Amino acid sequence: MTAATTVKTWYLVHKWTSLVCTLFLLVICLTGLPLIFHHEIEDLLNEGKPVAELPEGTPNANLDQIVAKGKALYPNEFIDYVFIDDHEPQAYVGLVTELGKGVETGHAVRVDMRTTDVLYDGPPYAEDRFSFMGIMLALHVDLFAGLPGELFLGFMGLLFVVAIVSGVVLYGPFMKKLEFGTVRAARSTRLKWLDLHNLLGIVTLVWAFVVGVTGVINELSTPLFRLWQSTELPRILAPYQGRTVPTELASVQRAADTAMQALPGREVSFISFPGNAFGSPHHYVVWLKGDTPLTSKLNTPVLVDGVTGELSAVARMPWYLTALEVSRPLHFGDYGGMPLKILWTLLDLVTIVVLGSGLYLWIARRKATDARVAELVRRHQQAAAPQRSPA
Amino acid sequence: MKTPRNRFLFIWGAPIVLGLLSIFGLLAALLGTGIWHWGSWLSLSVLLVVIAKYWWFPART
Repeated sequence: MTAATTVKTWYLVHKWTSLVCTLFLLVICLTGLPLIFHHEIEDLLNEGKPVAELPEGTPNANLDQIVAKGKALYPNEFIDYVFIDDHEPQAYVGLVTELGKGVETGHAVRVDMRTTDVLYDGPPYAEDRFSFMGIMLALHVDLFAGLPGELFLGFMGLLFVVAIVSGVVLYGPFMKKLEFGTVRAARSTRLKWLDLHNLLGIVTLVWAFVVGVTGVINELSTPLFRLWQSTELPRILAPYQGRTVPTELASVQRAADTAMQALPGREVSFISFPGNAFGSPHHYVVWLKGDTPLTSKLNTPVLVDGVTGELSAVARMPWYLTALEVSRPLHFGDYGGMPLKILWTLLDLVTIVVLGSGLYLWIARRKATDARVAELVRRHQQAAAPQRSPA
Repeated sequence: MKTPRNRFLFIWGAPIVLGLLSIFGLLAALLGTGIWHWGSWLSLSVLLVVIAKYWWFPART
């Protein structure tokens, strides 16, 4: 292939991958803006009570007491999970009307971990999907279409990544004779926006690439968890096959202690109760996180017998779930305080400009092409007209 | 006259530096705290400063 046809091929790849994904990516970038600050916005909307003002170092209550508070509000329901918040000393106690139906029937009660006061009795997740943040999240993640929606937007993300790569390949020939940062503002609007598109695109390249790739990985979280559940878990669960979900459960605090003894120096981030759709029918799955900035994002699942409270196994964390866990902070931008969130916002805004200018360039180019075609047709007709007139 | 190496750096020098700054900025806050957070914020801010500079004061052609 000659250099010219190579450039032409990359141009076509860039054009078509961009065109297909741009509108969805614009929606993703716009809805991503409030999602960066979801924690702050949720605090502001102030659903329920904040955690009690207590001196630092006030010990947490027993997990059994915390869970009991949720159960007391819904005595006929099942505990699905306990999630320990990593920002505030509070826990979310998940409840379901039917075991294994967390998505359909689940809701959560937020409990202060020191006082065990119920802070907020949340609505069912199904209802929460239509709150402001619920709508933002759905438009960002699955377009209200569940797994097919996640896979669809994941594919759009993949096209975005291909558009970025092809854009970088095109950057070379475009910039051959131009100094970095050239913006030819004086000649035409189209030229000015072409230069800005190239400049903004190349400067935010690595950030957009990382957020794009980690976004695609996040969209695969459901199949990745299912894969783990269907390949790694059965090996561990084989001896317990055929058992139903126990009715008399061991103490959840005991399960947590057992897990932490198995992996000292780690703390509980999440416990799925026996029967949880993403867990085991017979075990507490206690997810333990480390205490360094990176390992606090990495969880190891420990299986604890749901009846005896004794250790069953420390599950091996497959590489694809580790990749998923590392992808979360790198996509959310929530791992470096408020300044990082603000930088994430600004880089997101720049990406919106890159997407918008790309769309504008395509339209402007089409207009230019249309005008050129119209001009050719006009000339052709002019040339043809004198021959016809004498007749 | 420009050698090929210089021509390569003429096009890719600035993008490579900005890319390395981005990688550092993204990883510093993930792997460290305190001073590393500042390092992350500063290096990612450079991207926005570069954009602002060339948008409002473009390189001369």
